[in-house]
Amino acid sequence: MGSVKLEKVHDCLWEIPKEDAMQVPGRIYADQRSIDFLREEGKAKQWDALVQVRNVACLPGIQQASLAMADIHPGYGFPIGGVGAFDLETGVVTIAGVGFDINCGVRTMVVDIARDEIERRKKELANALFETVPAGLGSTGSLKLSKKEIDHVLREGARFSLERGYGIPEDLQFVEEEGSVDGADPDCVSMHAKERQFKQVGTLGSGNHYLEVQYVEEIFDEEAAAAFGLDRDQVVVSIHTGSRALGHQIGTDYLKVLRRASEKYHIPILEAELVAAPIKSPEGERYIAAVKAGINCAFANRQAIGGLVRKAFHRIFAIKDEEIHTLYEVGHNNLKFERHTVNGMEKELLIHRKGATRAFGPGRPEVPQRYREVGHPVLVGGTMGTASYVLVGTERGMEETFGSAVHGAGRLKSRKRALREYRGERIIGDLSKQGILVKVHSKRGAAEEAPGAYKDVDHVVSIMEGAGVNKRVVRLRPLICVKG
Amino acid sequence: MDDNRKPERGHETLDHTADMGLRGWGPGIPEAFEEIALAMFELIAEPGYEAGTYETSIRCQGRDLDELLVEFLNTLLAQADIDDVVYRSVNISGVKHGGETWEMDAVAFGTPRELAKEYLRAEVKAATYCGVLVEETDTGMWETRCVVDL
Repeated sequence: MGSVKLEKVHDCLWEIPKEDAMQVPGRIYADQRSIDFLREEGKAKQWDALVQVRNVACLPGIQQASLAMADIHPGYGFPIGGVGAFDLETGVVTIAGVGFDINCGVRTMVVDIARDEIERRKKELANALFETVPAGLGSTGSLKLSKKEIDHVLREGARFSLERGYGIPEDLQFVEEEGSVDGADPDCVSMHAKERQFKQVGTLGSGNHYLEVQYVEEIFDEEAAAAFGLDRDQVVVSIHTGSRALGHQIGTDYLKVLRRASEKYHIPILEAELVAAPIKSPEGERYIAAVKAGINCAFANRQAIGGLVRKAFHRIFAIKDEEIHTLYEVGHNNLKFERHTVNGMEKELLIHRKGATRAFGPGRPEVPQRYREVGHPVLVGGTMGTASYVLVGTERGMEETFGSAVHGAGRLKSRKRALREYRGERIIGDLSKQGILVKVHSKRGAAEEAPGAYKDVDHVVSIMEGAGVNKRVVRLRPLICVKG
Repeated sequence: MDDNRKPERGHETLDHTADMGLRGWGPGIPEAFEEIALAMFELIAEPGYEAGTYETSIRCQGRDLDELLVEFLNTLLAQADIDDVVYRSVNISGVKHGGETWEMDAVAFGTPRELAKEYLRAEVKAATYCGVLVEETDTGMWETRCVVDL
C-alpha cells in the first residue's frame, strides 16, 4: 500500500504523477516532514491518505488534479483535507467527498468587549456559555420544532432560525451562500434523518466540535485584518459544528444508494466508501438535493447557536445583540457548484471539499461586498490548547486549488492512544495554567481532544502560505473553550 | 491476543487515527454481531449506569453480511437517537438468508439518556464500510469488524 509514487514540485507541494487508471495527477500540499509522516503512517497501518489521493484521481470526470490540503490525514475513501472538482457532464458525485457531517463548519463573531473585561469575568462567562448552549451527546436544542417544521429548516437554512428570533438580519450577509442554498429537497431526506434531527437544532454536539472565546494574538496581514475589523487583542467567538444527526443519517442512507449506483454505472469501487453516481443521474441528483438539505440544516444550527451565544454574553455583560457581529461563517464538508477556469476555459464544476474550507480570493462575486477586495475570511480551527487562524485565499489558490484551504490541524494520534496518554483533568488543569478555561461535558472528550493529539496548526498553515495558495491574516488564541 | 486463550465471546476497540475500530467475536453470527454492538454501546456510554426497562425491536436487511452488519449498527444508532436512549445490550433472535438478502431481527435493551448522563462518552456519527469484516475463523468462531466515524 505504501507504494505511491511521489515527485516534489516545490518545498510545499508534491505530486503523484498520472499513471494507470488515474484521470489526473494527485497534488498534496506538504513539506518533507509531512510527507515522511504520511509515508510512515501508510506503511504502519491499513489507512493510507496518499493512496486515497490516488484513488480519487481515478474517478470519472475529475478535473485538473485530486488535491489534498496540508492538514491531510486518512478519511473514508477521500482523505480528510481532500478537494475534488468534477465536470458536470462526465463527472460523478461521491459520498466520500462529503462525509457524515455535512456542512460542518465554523462561524466567528466579533465581540465589542475589551479583552481585560472578559478576563475579569471569564468564569461567569464560561458558565453562562456552558449553560446556554446545549452540547454533549443527546443534548436537545432550545428551538422546539414539530416533526413537520424540520422541512422548513431544510429549505430555509439560517433564515429559519433568524425568523425564530436567533441572531440579527445582518448575520446572513456574512454567511457563505447567505445561509441558505437553493435546490434542497426535504423529500430526498429519510424520515429517520428528520426524526433524529428535530430535537437537535441549536446543539453543538460532541467530539471535535467546540465553542471558543478567543482573542487576536498576532496579525500577519495588516490590510486584510483591517478589512475584517480585527485589531490586536480583539475578542471573537468561534462556533464549530455541523448538521448533526441529520447529516449523519443522510450519509448512512445514501452510502447504500451510491454503492448500488457505482455498480449500475460501472464506476470502479477502489475503496469501500469511495462510491459514486454520475452527477446527471437520478441517484446523483437525489443525493445532491439531500446534501443541500443537510447544508441548510447546518446553517440553521450555527445561526441558532449564534443567537444563544449572544444571550449568554448579554447575561454577563448586558451587551446588545447588535454589538456582536458575524465576521464570517464557512463550511468544510461540502458540495458546491462553482465556476472555475480549467485549461484556460471557464466552466461550472461540482466541487467536493472534505475537511477543506472554501477560500475565495479577491474579486469573486460570492465574497461579501465588504471583503471583496481581499477575499473572505477563511476560518481554521486549531485544538483547544493551541491557536486558530483566519486566512484568506489568493489568486494562485483560485487557479491551483479551486479556491480551497485547510480546515484545521488534522489528527496526529488516535483517540485510543490519546486516552492512554492523557487524562482529562490534567489537560484541563494544564490549559487553565495557560489562561485557557475549559468547560467540558465529558472528561474523556477532553483527553481525546488533547492538544498533543493533533498536528501543529502553525506548521499546517505555514505550508499553505509557503505554497502561495492561502495567506495568514491573524492568529487567534483561546480564552474559553466549551466542548461536548 | 492469543486465540487459544480468547473467551468464547467478547469485544474490543481497535486503533484508528481519526476514529475508532470495533471488533466482536463469538460462536455464531448472532453472537459476533451482538458483541460488536456492545463495543459500540460502551463507546457511547461507559457501563455502570442503571439498567432501564426500555426495549425496542429492530429489523434490518443487507445484500451480504458486510452490509447487514453496517445496517445493524446504523439502525441501532438511529433508533437510540430517535428514542433518546442508550442501549446496554441487544438480543438477535434470528438471521435469515433468502434469495439475495440477509435479514435480521433483534431486540435492543436500554436506558433513557437522561438517566445515563454521567456515563456518556462519545457521539458515534455512523458505522462505515471501512475495514468491515464478517468472517468465520479457522477455529469455527465468527468475527466482526467495523470502523465507526466519531
